[in-house]
This record gives sequence, C-alpha cells and structure tokens, in this order.
Amino acid sequence: MIRLAIRNLFQNRTRLIISVGGVALALMLILSLDGIVRWIQTRVAAYIDASEADIWVAQAGVRNMHMASSSLSSERALEVGRVEGVDSVTPILYLTNVVVAGEERTISYIIGLPEEAQAGRPWIVSAGRGDPRPGGAVIDQGIAEASGIGLGDRVELLGADFEVVGLSGGTTSLTNSIAFISSEDFARLRASPDTVSFLLVRVEASAPPDKIARLIEDQVEGVTAQTREQFSAQERKVVRDMSTDLVTIMNSVGFLIGLAVMGLTVYTATLSRRAEYGVLKALGARNRDLYLSVGVQALASVVLGLAAGLAFTLLLAGIVPRIVSNLGLEVSLESLGKVATASLIFASTAALLPIRQIRGLDPAVVFRGK
Amino acid sequence: MLVSDLSKRFGSGPTEVTAVRGVSMDIDPGEVVLIMGPSGSGKTTLLMMLGALLKPTEGTIRLNGQVISELSEGKLPMVRLHQFGFIFQDFNLLSALTALENVALVASLSGRKNGEASRKAQELLSQLGLQERLHFLPEKLSGGEKQRVAIARALVNDPAILFADEPTANLDSKIGHEIMRLLRSIAKEQGRSVVIVSHDQRIKDIADRVLWLEDGQFKDMIRLATDPVCGMSVEQDEAAHRLDYRGERYYFCARGCLEEFAATPERFTAGNERIGLTRSLPDL
Amino acid sequence: MLVARKNLIQEKTRFALSVGGVALAIMLVLILDGFQVGMFRQITSYLDHSEGSLVVAQEGVVNLIGATSLLPLGTRAQVEAVEGVQGVAPILSQFVILDLHDKKQPAYLVGYSPELGGGPWEIVEGREPEVDEEMVFDRVLAERHAIGVGDRVVLMDRSYRIVGLSGGTTSWMTSFLFLRKSAVESLLLSPGATSFLLVVVADGQSPEIIRDRISRLSGVDAMLKSEVQANDSRLLARFFSAPVRLMTAIAFLVGVLVVGLVIYTATVERQREYGVLKALGARNRLLYKVVLAQAALAALVGTGLGILLARAASAAIMAARPQFLVVMQSEMAGRAIVIGLGMGLLAALFPARVLAGLAPAEVFRR
Repeated sequence: MIRLAIRNLFQNRTRLIISVGGVALALMLILSLDGIVRWIQTRVAAYIDASEADIWVAQAGVRNMHMASSSLSSERALEVGRVEGVDSVTPILYLTNVVVAGEERTISYIIGLPEEAQAGRPWIVSAGRGDPRPGGAVIDQGIAEASGIGLGDRVELLGADFEVVGLSGGTTSLTNSIAFISSEDFARLRASPDTVSFLLVRVEASAPPDKIARLIEDQVEGVTAQTREQFSAQERKVVRDMSTDLVTIMNSVGFLIGLAVMGLTVYTATLSRRAEYGVLKALGARNRDLYLSVGVQALASVVLGLAAGLAFTLLLAGIVPRIVSNLGLEVSLESLGKVATASLIFASTAALLPIRQIRGLDPAVVFRGK
Repeated sequence: MLVSDLSKRFGSGPTEVTAVRGVSMDIDPGEVVLIMGPSGSGKTTLLMMLGALLKPTEGTIRLNGQVISELSEGKLPMVRLHQFGFIFQDFNLLSALTALENVALVASLSGRKNGEASRKAQELLSQLGLQERLHFLPEKLSGGEKQRVAIARALVNDPAILFADEPTANLDSKIGHEIMRLLRSIAKEQGRSVVIVSHDQRIKDIADRVLWLEDGQFKDMIRLATDPVCGMSVEQDEAAHRLDYRGERYYFCARGCLEEFAATPERFTAGNERIGLTRSLPDL
Repeated sequence: MLVARKNLIQEKTRFALSVGGVALAIMLVLILDGFQVGMFRQITSYLDHSEGSLVVAQEGVVNLIGATSLLPLGTRAQVEAVEGVQGVAPILSQFVILDLHDKKQPAYLVGYSPELGGGPWEIVEGREPEVDEEMVFDRVLAERHAIGVGDRVVLMDRSYRIVGLSGGTTSWMTSFLFLRKSAVESLLLSPGATSFLLVVVADGQSPEIIRDRISRLSGVDAMLKSEVQANDSRLLARFFSAPVRLMTAIAFLVGVLVVGLVIYTATVERQREYGVLKALGARNRLLYKVVLAQAALAALVGTGLGILLARAASAAIMAARPQFLVVMQSEMAGRAIVIGLGMGLLAALFPARVLAGLAPAEVFRR
C-alpha cells in the first residue's frame, strides 16, 4: 500500500507540484518572516557584538542604544576609569541623523569615535581605513555603492561635509546604517560640551565583566552598566518584542494556508482515485489499507513541501542580501522546529480528512455506468 | 455457493424498481456458469450480490455453508480477498503500478510479506505468459495482456470463485477467445468456480451452464432463438416477429430486423444456420 | 442516480474550494495593504493634528521620525521674527524605550509647552501636565499594560506620574508620550534644547513663501508639514516594502495554486466529455475558454468574498490588538479584482495543458 501511495503521488506531476508548492509557500511565509526578524535582530546588535567592549556604560536607566538616547558627563568617564578592574574606557558619541551621499539620504546612527579608540570601531573595513580622524567619515559600503560614491568623495553629516576615508561592512540593517566620524567633529557639530553618550569599557585580563559592571554601578552615580552580552540581548529584545504580534499573525496565516492546501490536495487526490479505490475495495482491501495509502501520500507530500520550502528559503537567504543591500534572512533552528511541527500537523490533518470519503466509498462503484 | 430466493429492490413506493426477483441457483466447484440476458435484466446487480459488493433485499447467499449475504461490511473484505476473484470489462488495473505490482498488491493485502507477494505474483504472471511484461505499466499493455494481469490478480489469493463481468467485451475476437479458454482451464484444472456475465455468444462454447436472466428472473434457455440480423437472443414463444424462409423459421427482436432480413435474406443465411448456434456477424 | 447526485455535490464543493482559495489569498493581500496604509496614517498622525503648517528642523533633517534634530540656540527667536509667522510651538523630541512588564516598548517622547502647543490633541482622560514630573500616556498602550491615570512610569532612570491619557497617539511600532519640554530637557541633559518648531502662519499668508523665508536662516530647514509626512512615509515604506511584497507574492501564488488544482482536477475528471467535444470538432481554443470561464468565475466570486473576509478580519485584528490599524480603502477593491482575475488566468494554465494534450480518441476508449 505504501508503494501504491508513492506511485500515485508521483504519477500526477501537476497535482504533486501544486501540493508540494502550496506547502512550501506556506512554510516559506513563516520561515522568511522569522528569518527577516532574526536578521534584523542580529544586525541591530551587530555593532555592540563587535564592539570589543566588555561593558557598556550608559546614562542611568538606559538599556538600549537604538531608538534611545544616552547622555553622560565626561566626568563620569574618569570616574568609571578609576573603578578596579577597568582597563580602558572609550567614550563614544552617538545619535541618529541623516547621511547625505550623492542623491541618497539615509538615516544613520552616527558614532563619534575618539582618536585611537580601543573599542567601538568599525569591525569590517572593506576599503580605506577604519579610523575617521577629523574631517573624515567611514560609511557603510552598501550605502556607498547604492549612492555611487567611494573613497575620497564627499558626504554630508550633521549638516557638515566630510570626506569618505573608509568603507565598512556589516553596518547596515533594514532601516539604517552606521557611520563613523571623529568625536572631535561630532562634539563641534552637535554635542553639548563635555557630554558623551556611551562609555565602552574593557576590563583587565582576569576580571569577570559582570562583576566589574556591578562595581561600576555601585561606585559611579547616574549610570547603568551592562556587559556586552546583556546589552546585546536588550537590543535584540526590542526587535523581538516589536515584531511579536506581526509574526504571530503571519505565522497563523501561513499555517492556515498550509493546512488548506494540504487538505484540498488530499481531498481532490482521493476524489480522483475514487474508481481505483473502489476496485481495491471490491478486491478485498479494508478501509484501513486505504487509509494507510492516503496517509502515506499526505505525509510524503508534506515532507517534500517542507524540504522545498526550506531549500527555497535558504536560497532566498543567499540571494536577497545580494539584491537588496539592507535586507537579509537568517534561518534558525527554532524556526525550523516551528515549521516542522506545523508540517506534522498538516500531514496528520490531511491524512485524517479523507477517512470519510473512503469509508463512504461503495465498492459497487466499479460498475459505474452500467 | 448456494443462492436462495435472492431479490434486490431499489428505491421505494411508486419509484421502486426490482432488479432481481427471487433468483435461486447453485454454483459447484470447477463449474463455468454463464449468465446472459438483455441490458437492464439485472445481470450486473446479480453479479454484484454474488460477489458481496451489494446487499440483497431478500434471500440468502451461502458460501461453503457460511451465510455471506448477512455479514457486516467490516467482515466482507476478508471474503472478497480470500474467496473471490473479480475480473472486469475495463480491466480496472491501478494505473500507477506495474503489472507485477498490481498483482503483488492484492497478494500483500492478505498479509503476505512483500517479497513473498512479489514472488507469487511473478509466478502467476509467468504462467499466464506475461514474464516479459512484468514491469510494464497498464498503459503500455494490450487489452489481452491487461485482462491476463487482471486474471492473475484475481487468482493470487487462491479464491474459490472467480466472477467475470463482460471479460471479453473490450477485446478483439482472437484474444477474447483465448481469454475464454483460459477461464475454462482455470475452472477445470484448478477446481475453481467461474461465473461469467456476458453478452458474448461465443462464451457459450466454454460454459457448462448458460442461464438466461430477463427482468430479474431466470428464463428457460432452451426456447431461445437468435435474431439473424442483430444477433440478439429472442424467446421463441414471445417473439412477435417471425418469418419462414426456405423451410427455416427465423425469429426477430424487432420489426426493423425482420424487414431487413426480408429485403436481402441471402445476406443472413449464407452458411448453415441452426437456432441456438452462435454466428459471427459481418464486421461492424 | 447516486453517482449523478454525488457529481453535483462535487461540483458545488469544488466551486466552493476554488472560491475559498481565492478569497483567502485576496484577504491576505488586502490586509497587508491595509496594514501598510494604517501604518502610514499612524505615523503621520502627529503632524496631522499638531498646530501650524510648517515644521522647522535642523539643517539636513527632513523627517520627524528617524533622525535627531537639534536647532541652533536662538532659532526660535529668529523664526518668530520672520514676517508672516504668527506663532511658534517648540518641541524637544526623542525616541525612547520603555520597559513595561518586561517587554520593550519603543515610544516617541515629545516635550512641549502646553501654552504654546505641540502636545496631545485628544485627551481622553485626565489632563495635560502642569509640572515636570507629570506625563501624558497613550491610551491604547496604557490599556495593554493595565496602567492608568495616577500610575507611575519609569523612563530611563526617572519616574513620572501619568496625569492624562491621549487618543490617536498609538501605532504598533511606537506610541507617543508627552512631557513638559523642561522635563525632557532635564532628562536628556540638554537645557534649552529644541528639536523642532511648529510654525503657525498668519492668515492670508502662503505657507510656501514663509517656508522659503525661514529656510534662509542659517542652520535650519523649513518644510511644509505635508513634506515631512511624505518623508516619514517614504522612510517607513523602505522598511516594509520588501517583506510586504514578499508576503503578497506568496499569497498570490497560493491563490493561483488552489484554483489551479481544483479546476485541474475537474478537467481531468471530465476528460471524456472534453474528448467528445474535440472529436466533434471543437478546437482547443474553445475548450480553453470553458476552463478559463470556470477560473474567472471562481476568481470573481472569490474576490468578492475575499473583500468581505478582509473587512471582517481587519476588524477582528484591530479588536484583538488595538495598536494595529488596518485601513480598508475602497479603491483597493478595484485592484483586488484585477489581482483575483490574474490569479484565475494563471490558474487556468494548469488544466489548459491537460486539454491541449487530450486526444479526441479518448472518447472511444470505453
């Protein structure tokens, strides 16, 4: 009966394509949206993850970087530097602004770096240098490409002109990118004097970062200190929390679609084989035998659909970043688990549906037309 | 198989139709029984009941002592699988399976493991001369080959009775002939009963018994004649149209046939005619 | 008899299935579109309701949402002095992240002076802030987190008391939050700072001319509110266009597949009838038309149903999650029909192949 199921499944190419295609699409809906959200999370936290800072110190109560602002007086930097276990403190300036490159205006996070910064620098430098120095700017290579500018060209930031001295990689996410200028220029153009945004702390070799972070909070007033992992997690959480409802709705829709397509295909497949199933019944097959055949057919379709959906999503994950510079997909195990469970439910439901059809099938149907 | 007073009625009230009316018969092992009759006579309905595909309204069917006409639907598959074999006019092979797989499938339904089922299937198909066609899909087989696969399929679980519904209707004359003789040899050499429902006059040649079903009831075959124009069997007593020609009496099913005969009688009397013999008609 | 009846039921079931497939796909497409429209509306709501017709921002900033703007000191006085300017409402705004019940909630904080304007336009409960410690909170966000007037909210490291709830200030991405301007200055450690000026133009004056006049001042850019809103919308579009288009494409394909499958199955079952038609001399084109008509009918009915479903679904979504705004525009109905018919047309390709390959001899195979 299993062989019958597989043969029946592959005999009808069109129906196979439709059912496998339908399941694949439904699962892709779920996988790709999950993938986009996950990618955004990673990109949003990328700067922090690559910052080389063990501890991030911000204004009291500020636990995020994106969609937040933090202001610390430069005195705090000194105070933090004095805490035991702290090896170096790199103060950076930060705000959201527009980078005007050619005709393109991009919202960017502008980072003001001090000279010889020990942390917080661009982590992938694809051209030029990673240290902006006064007058210079390091911008994201994707943005540069999209606006048709390169090293030596001029961009406008914070209302002033800068020369592009370096191109960075990994510094773009769906909505914005990161651009680096010297903190000197930054302060001149924007900051209140003696104000910094974040302090990037590196600890001594043997010192545990979370312990030092707590020490900093105890000893220095008006600051919040988080380890790099903690801070990164907070950033990802923003993206996750913001997108939960959306993802839930889309997942539900994808799920319903997959269910509907599988149900429909199995129904029509069973329907069209009515005559043959009738013959089998006349020859002595029990309902149970037919359920097995239909069930295996359903399961096989779903498995193929799952494989196809996964393959296509992975393909998308490879292609999309090449076409759209500020979008990507990340397929995670959790996503796969979700999708595998959904597939299982598709298969089970689809296998159960035709039970009524088969039970009600009269073997006398072999004499139809007589 | 013992059939007692079998009846089948469809519908109810003013639209009630009686397809089979109080039919009784026995079928012995090794016997070839041919059931003939005009369209709508209830042959197919009778066959369906004998083959446990339809429940009778009245009467009983006994197989080796067991009453199968009252078995619940759940128990019937066992009977169909192990006691009966079915052969259809349209062959009804599963289109996605090869000849071998078609037969092996039915073998495996009865619990045989795949390997054993395949072997049994191969054996049967080879006996029927299909060893070169084992892995062909039905679409690639000729009519005669398909019917032989169907016969192998019907035999694979060692049934007591084979039921055949118009087994030669879709086959040409020579192949049909072969199939008929094959059915006879199965009955005689393997001791199985073969019940055939057919319009085909030639099958009379291989049948042990010919039963004529008309309006749901068996009629006496002896007094049947054959309309020389259209080949239909006509009851002598009831025939409204008859004609004497050159000392022979001919019976016709309808006025049209009589008139056609009367116009050119030589056309229909070439070669000796005797009432009751089959006669090949000019190719249509 | 039984078979004939079963056939008819099959026809109805089949029709229902293909209609259902189109309906669901159209519903998805419409909801995605409505969601985008709703989002734009939410994003632009602040400027829709705030005072004035012009927005003055730091030079180079053309968005309200997205970039931090800091006007040079003294800008307000300069702008007030420009001829044709009737009134100016300064605001200090910044994106912030609230941690409510262990969930990160981004919010757009607006610091304003109640006397001058730039604050909430609809107070559903309570009042506007009178002192720095007081805050006006978005009504929908408050409901979602079961907080209300009188409760305290922690922002960064300070605690504020909710004295009023505002309406029309919500979006699924962020909500608006209002404090006195001086409170925000203190929070951000930027005394006297101003992000934007909302400019009220005197009666009879042309906003465009006043805009150009103001732009001549150094360090600032003046824009019509509509221009800023357009920029904000475009920014948002960049964010969502790719994912939404992907989802829409998938929905469309699913619709095609479902209808295609149903009609394909029906065509295969009726092979013999079509074979007869061919044997009688019907050309392939005629048979295509039959199949196409089936598909088109299913598509049209399905689209109609899909539009109804979309309305129902969007109402359900908004009831369950009031921070979402799904706007069903009547113009979309026209586009939906086009999309639906497109689905039907493509779907008809599946059975078309069957018909093309059908040999008229089929009819004699019985």
